[in-house]
Amino acid sequence: MDTPKKIKVLYIDDEQNNLNGFKATFRFDYVVLIAVNIAQAYEHLRSHADISVILCDQRMPDKTGVQFFEEMREEFDEPVRMLITGYTDIESVIDAVNRGHIFRYIKKPWTDSDIRSAIEEANKFYLTNSLLVAKNKELQSAYDELGKFAYSVTHDVRGPLLSILGALDIAKNMEDPHELREILEMMEDAIRKLDEYIKNTHEYYKLKRGQLEFETIDFNTVLKDMASLFRIAGKMENIRFTSNVVQNEVFLSDEISIKMILNNLLANAFNYQRKDAADKFVSVNIEVANNVAVISVQDNGIGIHDSHINNIFTMFYRATSEETGSGLGLYNVKDALNKLNGAIEVKSAVNQGTTFKVIIPGKANGTD
Amino acid sequence: MVQTKKLHFIVIDDSKLDCFIAEKIIKNTGISESIKSFLQATEALDYIKSIPVDEQTRTIILVDIQMPVMNGFEFVEAFEKLPADLIKNYTIFIISSSINENDLARVHTYATVKQFLNKPLTSNNLSVLLAS
Repeated sequence: MDTPKKIKVLYIDDEQNNLNGFKATFRFDYVVLIAVNIAQAYEHLRSHADISVILCDQRMPDKTGVQFFEEMREEFDEPVRMLITGYTDIESVIDAVNRGHIFRYIKKPWTDSDIRSAIEEANKFYLTNSLLVAKNKELQSAYDELGKFAYSVTHDVRGPLLSILGALDIAKNMEDPHELREILEMMEDAIRKLDEYIKNTHEYYKLKRGQLEFETIDFNTVLKDMASLFRIAGKMENIRFTSNVVQNEVFLSDEISIKMILNNLLANAFNYQRKDAADKFVSVNIEVANNVAVISVQDNGIGIHDSHINNIFTMFYRATSEETGSGLGLYNVKDALNKLNGAIEVKSAVNQGTTFKVIIPGKANGTD
Repeated sequence: MVQTKKLHFIVIDDSKLDCFIAEKIIKNTGISESIKSFLQATEALDYIKSIPVDEQTRTIILVDIQMPVMNGFEFVEAFEKLPADLIKNYTIFIISSSINENDLARVHTYATVKQFLNKPLTSNNLSVLLAS
């Protein structure tokens, strides 16, 4: 390992002299924790999650070392267990090794180099194991997401395709040009929905696999690029759009993530409007102070019902059948914010509107 | 096709286009007394509940699986909790783009669901289904 961190070792023995001797010998090389009984050993295990090696004397008053290892494994599986024994009765030790309770045993009287090499070996085993556990966890979550993806592809990709196919079939025999126009427009919507899904999938992948690139963010510029597009859409739908940016300091963050977050929140605010409302509006407010950016996006649209609000950041969750959601937008937002150590809050009332508030800490200047 | 009695239809699909397709195709068969489309399964359920039991008529329900808020399976489960003399007037067909084995297997676990249909609905497979 390239950052040599001291190995944390726990030694359990009912003789205080042995403990003292052990600690005196190894305290410079390892972080040594000692316990004179099982209860003390558990205390250490509970308060130090990073103990990598445990050495225990076999002959203890309340329990044998083997019994202790067998029992503590249930709760603390990660530390590598080694038994120290002077016993001639080696049967129980062999049995314990075979049943996987201990990694190896050290014969009494031990030498410094016995212990040292045993600890080094045990630690290697510990590190490999921990790495494997972490990798397995990562792999499992990737598999879970893949499963969700595979399922959603049949609906979100195949769905619009089959709709278009069905519509084409009907359109072939349609005489009335008005009806034909109507069905063409619906087919267009279906194709847009499909395209939206593909774009979101791409964004998801970019975020998931891509590295963050920190650069100076000028929120005025970022918003200006984006707002012009939304302003046109807003005019067509008769939605009032206002924006306000207060930024008097340098802010370092990942521009792709910031743009994706803003784009998703604004798109939602514009899409989930009440069609027949008189005074539709969307407003965005960005303030940067003390190296923290606070973005709020507010609308007076359809709102989100209480029973759905906890699920809106879940992958492929859609809280409404209105409009053409992919169920990926807010999931991507949340994912990006996790990477940026940011947070998101939502306030919403049905038929009154929704406000999303995003808090993003800027990357500290000059540090890496 | 000789149909003595005309049928009522309920279409439940979160895609406007799919509702539209279903309506067109059903209308073209000429056997429909009425067609009602719902983008949300909850609304369809409310509608069914709102009809007095003595006014219930033979109705075919076409319901999609994957829909937000209440999906097709949840709809069927809620429907099966309704009074038995209401349920008996309805025949449910699940119509979906899903090719997921779990979805297909689940369809057969519901007593009120007659059959699974692949999207898109065509006049051909609708008439086969109605003949059965």
